[in-house]
Formats: sequence, C-alpha cells, structure tokens
Amino acid sequence: MSTEMEVDEPQRLPVTVTKPIPLTYDLGHLTAFDSNPLPPLTPSTLEQTLHSTARDATQLLINQILTTVALKSTQDGVYATLPEPITNLPREKPVPKAKELTSWEKFAKKKGIAAKAKDGKMVYDEATGEWVPKWGYKGSNKGGEDDWAVEVDERKQEDVNANPRSLSRAERVERVRKNEKQQRKNEKNATAASSSGSGGYKNRRR
Amino acid sequence: MLQTVKPKNARSKRALEAREPKLVENEKTTLFLRGTSASGVVQDALGDLHSLKKPQAIKFQKKNAVHPFEDASALEFFSRKNDASLMVFASHSKKRPHNLTFVRFFEYQILDMVELGLDGETFRKMQDFKNSKAGVGLKPMITFSGAIFENNPTYSQMKLMFLDFFHGNTVPEVDVEALQYTISISAADPTDEEPNPKIHLRCYMLKTVRSGHKLPRVELEEMGPRMDFKIGRIQEASPDMMKEAMKKPKGQEMRTKKNISVDPMGDKIGKVHVDRQDLGKLQTRKMKGLKKRGRDESEGERDNDVEMDDDDVEMGDNVPEISPKRARV
Repeated sequence: MSTEMEVDEPQRLPVTVTKPIPLTYDLGHLTAFDSNPLPPLTPSTLEQTLHSTARDATQLLINQILTTVALKSTQDGVYATLPEPITNLPREKPVPKAKELTSWEKFAKKKGIAAKAKDGKMVYDEATGEWVPKWGYKGSNKGGEDDWAVEVDERKQEDVNANPRSLSRAERVERVRKNEKQQRKNEKNATAASSSGSGGYKNRRR
Repeated sequence: MLQTVKPKNARSKRALEAREPKLVENEKTTLFLRGTSASGVVQDALGDLHSLKKPQAIKFQKKNAVHPFEDASALEFFSRKNDASLMVFASHSKKRPHNLTFVRFFEYQILDMVELGLDGETFRKMQDFKNSKAGVGLKPMITFSGAIFENNPTYSQMKLMFLDFFHGNTVPEVDVEALQYTISISAADPTDEEPNPKIHLRCYMLKTVRSGHKLPRVELEEMGPRMDFKIGRIQEASPDMMKEAMKKPKGQEMRTKKNISVDPMGDKIGKVHVDRQDLGKLQTRKMKGLKKRGRDESEGERDNDVEMDDDDVEMGDNVPEISPKRARV
C-alpha cells in the first residue's frame, strides 16, 4: 500500500463489501476474480462504474491478503507470504529432460558400479615424497617420457624404425584421442535421443 | 533458424545456460514492436504497456514488415533472438485500426495469438493522468470483473492471457508496501446489440485510508493507461503444444512435512520423537552427607569436574569417566 493517509475525524469508513457471488482469489498471482455481472455500462457512467467495481474488488483482495496470509514483519517492512498460484499458466520452455547417460554410465548402472569419489587433482608421489598433479604440467601420467635412457620393449615396438623414446608419449596421446572420440559418440547419442524422444506437437508441425 | 553454437568462453556459456529450459522458470520477457504502419494512438499504447512491463521488457524502435496472422516466422525469430516469450505487435490499417496483437510463445514458437482493436477515442495514455505512477518492476494486483470471463470461452481465454501477460514473476512473498497498483480488467455482459462486449483495461494507484477498523479502507486513483479493446482475430494454441506447455515438472509439488499434521478441526499437530531417557544421568537431590570427599585432591588434574562429583554419587567408584561436556565451569 502506497500511502497511509491520516484522517482527522475518526469516522468509520466501511472496509467490507458484500457481493451476491463471493469473489474467488488466486493470491499466488495477487488476483481476484469477480464473476458478478457488471451494472449496465452507459458512456456517461462507464468510468464511475469501472472505478467502483475495481475498488470493491481491490478492497476484497487486500482484505483477503491481510487476513488469510501469514504476515512477517522484518526490519525492511511487512512481508506477506504468498501461496502457490492456483491458475496454471503455460510454461515458456519445456520441462528440462534428464541428461542422457553415457555408454559407461549405462554399463556401470547395469553392473552396479558406483562412481569413483573425486579426490582432487593432486596425488602423492611416494618416490620423491611430494604432491604432484595427476595430469597436466609435471603430471604423474608423464612418468618415463623424459627419461634419459629408455628400455626397448619388444612387444610395443611394432615398427622397427619407430623411435622408442616417443612411444610412451604416443601411447598417452592415443588414450586422449580415444576418450575424445567416445565423448563425441556420447554427445551424438544424447542429441539423437532428445530430438526423437520428444514427439508430440513438433513432429506434427513439420 | 539460428545455429546452435558451442560457447567459446565462460561468459557466453553462462549466457547460453541462462536460456536453457529450467525447472523453475524465470519471468517471461515481453517484446514490444510495431509494424510498418502504426498510428500515434497505438504507439502510445505500446509505450505504456512497455512501461508497465519494465524491466522484463524489450522495445524495438524500427518498423517491421510483419503480418502476424499471415506469416509469423519473423516473430518467432525475434522471440528466439531475444529470449522473449510474450510479444505485443502494434499496427494500424483501415480495416483494423489501432491494432495490438498479443502473442505468446512456447519454445520460441507461437503458442497463441489474439488481436485486440484499441478504441482510439477512449484511449488515454499514462501521461494524461497527472499523478504519481507505480514503481518500476512491482508486482501488480489484478482484478477481473464480469460474468463473461467465466461463461464465454473466448473471454475466459482472454482472462488467462491477460493474467499471463501482467502477473509478472511468481514470488514466495511480497512486500505489503509494494502493493502499489492494481490492473482492473472488466467486461459487461453480452447483449443482443453487442454480443462481443469490449474489454476495459484500467490501471489504478492504490491509496489506503485509515478506516477505524483493523483493515485499511482502499481508495483508487486512476494512473493510466485507459484502454478499451475489441477482440479481433484469434489463433488458438494447438492442443499438443498447449499440453506440452502446461506440463508440471515432477518433484516440484510441495513436500508434505514429516510429523506435522492437521486434524479435522484445523488444529496443527506436531509429533515429537524423544530418545529414551538415560536415568543414570538423572539429577537427584543433592545432600551434603552424600558428597564425596577427598576425591578431587587425589585427582587434582581433573579440576573441571570438581562440581560434578555430587551428581554421580550413587554410582560410586565405578563411574568410568565424566565427560567434559557435562562440566559446569
């Protein structure tokens, strides 16, 4: 309410309105529905009639808010706790769907494998007694890539001319590639599932 | 159709995420735009509706060669570009003077459209009323008066559309001080001369007067705009799309709180579960004769527990350890 006007003479102004059909309210939307027919509207009395019906409806709405709703007074002012809206209005966008599971997640669910707990990026290196990152700069997954002497592994050395020094790194890069490929595949599956699964109005419109 | 882009940095990623469908939705943004020809009246009306809807509103300045009921693909494009799901399109022609088209979108596609012809003679803009206006972005109170909103399907659809258009954000609580203005939408009953009565939209500032009762007396003062609409063409929502749009997300219902119930009389009943009481720790009457002597001298280190001793007198020496929690310092 915008202003609290002081009235000098202590006259009692009516605050109740009686209507043949009681109003219905949707306090979640701060709305009152007055289904009483309007009095006949003639051009001369139109504004007067509209004003008085609006006043009555607003008075009843304010009465409803101030009497039925929990009021909470704080330092910032008095707050009315509004109930959930009754009138359903259409959404702006569809209800978000659950994210599609990746192939690993599907497999893990089938087998009952719980997700590993994330324990951070750093890992303890027993040999040096230091904490090192699992990947990235000076990551522990690069062990053996910078060694000054490399043992030639007969099984890994398929090509005789391949440099045995770069084999360890090539193996790691290959793992990264494989993972990216799997990610792309999962993304593709997820988009395919979401576009085909929605059905309904979209398919009919096209 | 806009391309679906992969965000290249965190800022654009956040911006894209803000547009994604949400479980609890944000307030709908309203877009205001005009056609190639728009009268002064309808432009004023558009501006006033824009100022009522601020700040969740965008107003275009340029003309748009669009006919919503013929080809609305441009409007769908604007909706997607601006992430707006409500739109008011102003146009003026000889056949349909002072025309405002209210459009709703679902997933950037037109849900429904209704054309409202503004009465140019009775229209009064906000500036014509020389009084203070409501603050920007406040939630209005809305009243619908007239039996026709219940009986006539077209008018009850209009009621829902106006409610969707004006209600603003759904909030859990509202400052009583901020209930500043009311939007009153009313229509007379249909008669034989006028089977489709006009919809009257009025906006009033609220003034509360001390009444001598506990409740205040409400007085209204018109703040504008004053609009009288004649319903024109209507494009109804397709049932499939409406069904999809009206879906309620699961798990959003109010959770029933455990152990709180309401009996038939309307009294709230709470059930409280209490653990079994440990009678061993029960405080009994203190007597000087039962007080243990000399124990604190021998165990001087546990000086915190000095006063505790008399509590556990009955248990004698087989009290294993007095927990520091119970110490009274």
